[in-house]
Amino acid sequence: MNKPLLTIGISLALSVPLAAQAGAKEDFNEVYAKAQSTHQDAGNFQWTTTTDRMKAAKTSAESGDYDKAASMARQALKLAQESVAQRKQQQEAWRNAAIGN
Amino acid sequence: MLKAKVILVALGAALAMPQALAGATPEEDRKETVEYFKQMFPDVPLEEFVNGQYALNEDRRKQWESMQDFPPYEFAVAEGKEMFETPFANGKTYASCFENGGIGIRQNYPYFDTEKKEVITLELAINRCREANGEEPLRWKKGAIASISAYMASTSEGKPINIEVPDDPDALAAYQDGKEFYYSRRGQLNFSCASCHVQNPGKWIRADFLSPALGQPSNFPVHRSKWGELGTLHRRFAGCNNNVRAEPLPAQSEEYRNLEYFLTYMSNGLPVVGPATRP
Ligand code: HEC
Repeated sequence: MNKPLLTIGISLALSVPLAAQAGAKEDFNEVYAKAQSTHQDAGNFQWTTTTDRMKAAKTSAESGDYDKAASMARQALKLAQESVAQRKQQQEAWRNAAIGN
Repeated sequence: MLKAKVILVALGAALAMPQALAGATPEEDRKETVEYFKQMFPDVPLEEFVNGQYALNEDRRKQWESMQDFPPYEFAVAEGKEMFETPFANGKTYASCFENGGIGIRQNYPYFDTEKKEVITLELAINRCREANGEEPLRWKKGAIASISAYMASTSEGKPINIEVPDDPDALAAYQDGKEFYYSRRGQLNFSCASCHVQNPGKWIRADFLSPALGQPSNFPVHRSKWGELGTLHRRFAGCNNNVRAEPLPAQSEEYRNLEYFLTYMSNGLPVVGPATRP
């Protein structure tokens, strides 16, 4: 048997899950960073549900489950985007509800 | 003729602009708010609003009245008095930091400090007093600070709330900021403070009976059976934010102090009744 070929074969077989793993980790890191900065953009309009998803994402990532972590981070990002939209919308809309305006 | 018209138009523009920017004055807001709640609850005497949900619900009121013989905050008030009178390590007491030795002044808080350019709440003044005298600040939401604040409120019992917005653009900005916070929808549930306490007082929300904005800060600090102890107004703000899934802000943050400034101003003229009890 050709030893170098075998080595390549084995490392290829190993590298598929490793690459997938690396991909999920990168995916997580990217989405998480985006969720984090969007959550910051919400200023004092942050939602507790976003914070919860961010924490869950972090916990999953720490235990090595990057698929779950990325999925949680995506949920956090979606909620954070909604909270930013709420903040923008309320900048003017609050006046319509106010007594004395 | 033409000239007069030009002047009028110019005057109109000059008048309209600042008004559109500044909105109503605090006093106009307050009068309209009082009128709004009077129309909503024509049978409730104005001073009764300080009793929150008990002003609007007979059953709750009866339960509450039966508690008045042995109010659960009595011990905390006595403890607060003792702490208030105990000298700091440097020999001075809290009395040295406040007008009239801190007795009968609760109705003037929060106020706008025109030099520091910020809203000073009673709890903030208590902790600043400690720090000025070389003591560690107390934690904000419960415990010693609530007891001291409760004792100080008890010495103002019945005095009319007397919040001033001085003629100072920064003071007005702080008031406006509090007002904006109060009317802005927040959290995943998309509620503003006003959604519950202006639009829906007198209605049930699950097991809770909603109180009106008017009179709300008057009974603080408050002993809630849910907490089993006294808590400050900012503890309640945090709870109300959290209930609509909005991230609460830190107690004594600028946002919450401005919110307290606006909300307490609305209750001007109503009596101080803190500490009190709530479910
Ligand atoms: C989803 C409805 C809801 C929203 C939104 C809400 N609250 Fe409340 N709040 C309640 C309920 C329920 C209580 C307890 C019953 C009561 O006293 O109204 C309460 C109690 C209070 C009290 C105590 C009243 C008393 O008599 O002791 C204060 C003060 C208060 N809320 C302020 C606020 C502020 C400020 C906001 C906005 C940051 C806010 N609330 C938003 C539901 C709400």
